[in-house]
Amino acid sequence: MGNKELIPPGLTYLADNITSKHNLLGTGKGAGARWAKGLNLPRESETIFFAGCGYQYASELESLMSLIRRIDRSAVSTEMAMSVASFQKRLGIDAAGIYRRVMSRGGEEDAQPLVSAVKVLNKLGIKFGYLADDEPCCGGLLHYIGLQSEFAKHAQDVYGQLKARKVKQIISIVPSCTYTLRNLMTQSVNGHDLEVKHFCQVVAENISGRELSFPRQVKVTYHDPCQLVRYLGLVEPPRQILKAIKGIKLIEADWTKGEWATCCGGGGGFEAVFPELSQILAVNRAKELVDTGAELIVTHCPGCIMQLKTGLKELKVNNIQVLDLAQVVAMAMGV
Amino acid sequence: MSVFSDYKNELMDAAHNERIRLALSRAIKSYRANTNEALRKFPHTIKLAEEVREIKSRAIGEMEKLAQQACEAFEFNKGKAYIARTTADVLSIIDKLVGTGKLIVKGKSMTCEEIDLREHLEHRGNEVFETDLGEFICQKLPSRPMHILSPAIHVPKEDVARLFSRITGEELPADISILVDTARKLLREKYFQADIGMSGANVVAADTGTLFIIENEGNVRLSTGAPRVHIALVGMEKLVPTLMDAYKVAEVTWRYANYTVPSYVSLVSGPSKTGDIEKVTTYGAHGPKELHVIFFDGGRTELAKHPILRQALFCLRCGGCLYECPVYAVTAGHFGDKYFAGCGTVWAATISHKTEKAAALAYTCLTCGRCKVRCPMQIDSPAMCVEVRKMIAEGYIPPPED
Repeated sequence: MGNKELIPPGLTYLADNITSKHNLLGTGKGAGARWAKGLNLPRESETIFFAGCGYQYASELESLMSLIRRIDRSAVSTEMAMSVASFQKRLGIDAAGIYRRVMSRGGEEDAQPLVSAVKVLNKLGIKFGYLADDEPCCGGLLHYIGLQSEFAKHAQDVYGQLKARKVKQIISIVPSCTYTLRNLMTQSVNGHDLEVKHFCQVVAENISGRELSFPRQVKVTYHDPCQLVRYLGLVEPPRQILKAIKGIKLIEADWTKGEWATCCGGGGGFEAVFPELSQILAVNRAKELVDTGAELIVTHCPGCIMQLKTGLKELKVNNIQVLDLAQVVAMAMGV
Repeated sequence: MSVFSDYKNELMDAAHNERIRLALSRAIKSYRANTNEALRKFPHTIKLAEEVREIKSRAIGEMEKLAQQACEAFEFNKGKAYIARTTADVLSIIDKLVGTGKLIVKGKSMTCEEIDLREHLEHRGNEVFETDLGEFICQKLPSRPMHILSPAIHVPKEDVARLFSRITGEELPADISILVDTARKLLREKYFQADIGMSGANVVAADTGTLFIIENEGNVRLSTGAPRVHIALVGMEKLVPTLMDAYKVAEVTWRYANYTVPSYVSLVSGPSKTGDIEKVTTYGAHGPKELHVIFFDGGRTELAKHPILRQALFCLRCGGCLYECPVYAVTAGHFGDKYFAGCGTVWAATISHKTEKAAALAYTCLTCGRCKVRCPMQIDSPAMCVEVRKMIAEGYIPPPED
């Protein structure tokens, strides 16, 4: 007998989406995969590109967050995180409707890093496929929420699906999905033998000798996503890539970089439980990055992108852009 | 209102409190600079920390044996030693020793804080003076300690000046050296008037029966040296097998607590004694005539059995993790209960048995993992918090004692 009522409902809401709808936002099947239309990626392949929920549903997540933040600041704020659903009802907010409207507008811009990543991999001559609307949610959030047995079940299911499609290698781009597929899943699945690499590792291994040139001279600072730097230990590959691009001057904070990088404030479901605090932390991190004097902030995680954009907006800084590393590489390759 | 709502309110009040943020940003900057400098100057510390991790890992598995051994050693040294299983056991031992109407000077001790010892003693008609400057500020404000090493970390100097002006009736400027001098004057006589001195310990050698108490102010030397009775309350996780082990633990502790070397380390093994007249050993020379050491279990031996959460017992209480926690940077000890952040979450869940508070704390962890990078014991706080979430969701948290 557990105390599931002690899990903040913002999180149980997301967990239910994963287990019942197989994606974080609970949107319809296929909605997330639209970004890949026209890229002509095969579904059948030993190596697949794993897009993850984060980028695909970035715009939906963003509107969900702004909604949650609005409610969090209102008078009824404190009980909010304990009961998202009931407040959505009481305030007459139709969250599903909001997502639908956002969907119809299209989230192409947010999914741009995925398009860029695919173009970069193509340019590097790597052969891979994409499962599109058959791509399962990695379910990592279930683990972080504390629903380990649900996660274990989900992980076995996901593993089974991937094996059934004869997948052997995965190139994954969302840091937390990568850690889940590579590390967490190994603990829940006997005989796990999928080779999982992060996109930036694949790029770093294949760019030597290539002409990479950013369209303009720019001072860049890099924000390390927690899962990429401290969970997956990928400190050097993103820096190696940025340093290989002509026109980019990498400038970093004295202390808060690499394994000492400050979290953007969105992690482990934190943003759904403490939305307002999450925004304060986003502002703090954005400030540290702005203080480096960079003109462009590069990071490599959909959550970080969302948080840092929010942080910059709150700071009223509108002359610094946030881009994903995949986009920067694509621009430098001219693809 | 639920525990979660209250907690979230408290956390958000703190997050909007400019004073806390100001004090913390100053503290984080100076902590990082000092620690980096201390580690640069004594680079062997990093290897030593690995060795200490091994020492602690072994010692946590044999706390019971070490406590027995330490008790024998202290008794051999003519001190008195006790093993207390519960908070009630600790309080009953202390009540017998202290009684009522006493003046007590106290060094900072998180273990005393854990069982609200000061409040208990005051309630029983004793006058208690916290002598650590930060703890003194917290006692007078009043506020609960917001950091394990620097309890008044959340109070900027301007607020201390206002507080001390109120106490002394003089208009004091926000000049740190004047404020420190004021505390010295306020507490000076208390050490010599006190009946009892109380302390904790940073680490204890079981073989010789020796308390290591690390400090910089000198208040612990006075508190444990001047009164006739010294009572030390020590969590069982502070025990290590040998004097040399204890030394290693102490050095790593102070280095990660941002000191190249602290001003004082007191090694206390027994009551004060002299043999200077006819070689006849006589107890209670200049220092205390009585030394009482209480080893407190309070759920620690149970916690030591958990494969993931036992890491919380490795904690040296250097406080380094807190300076790297983005949530702590804006909320201070409000992200905590008796202890803070990751270890505080485990403590609330398994030692204090506050399931709802533990849940709230566990979900406050960003799981960003920077604390682990700082920790000399590499304690994986995100993993511990996720484990607490799981235990709560699956109902593994045992009910409160008694």
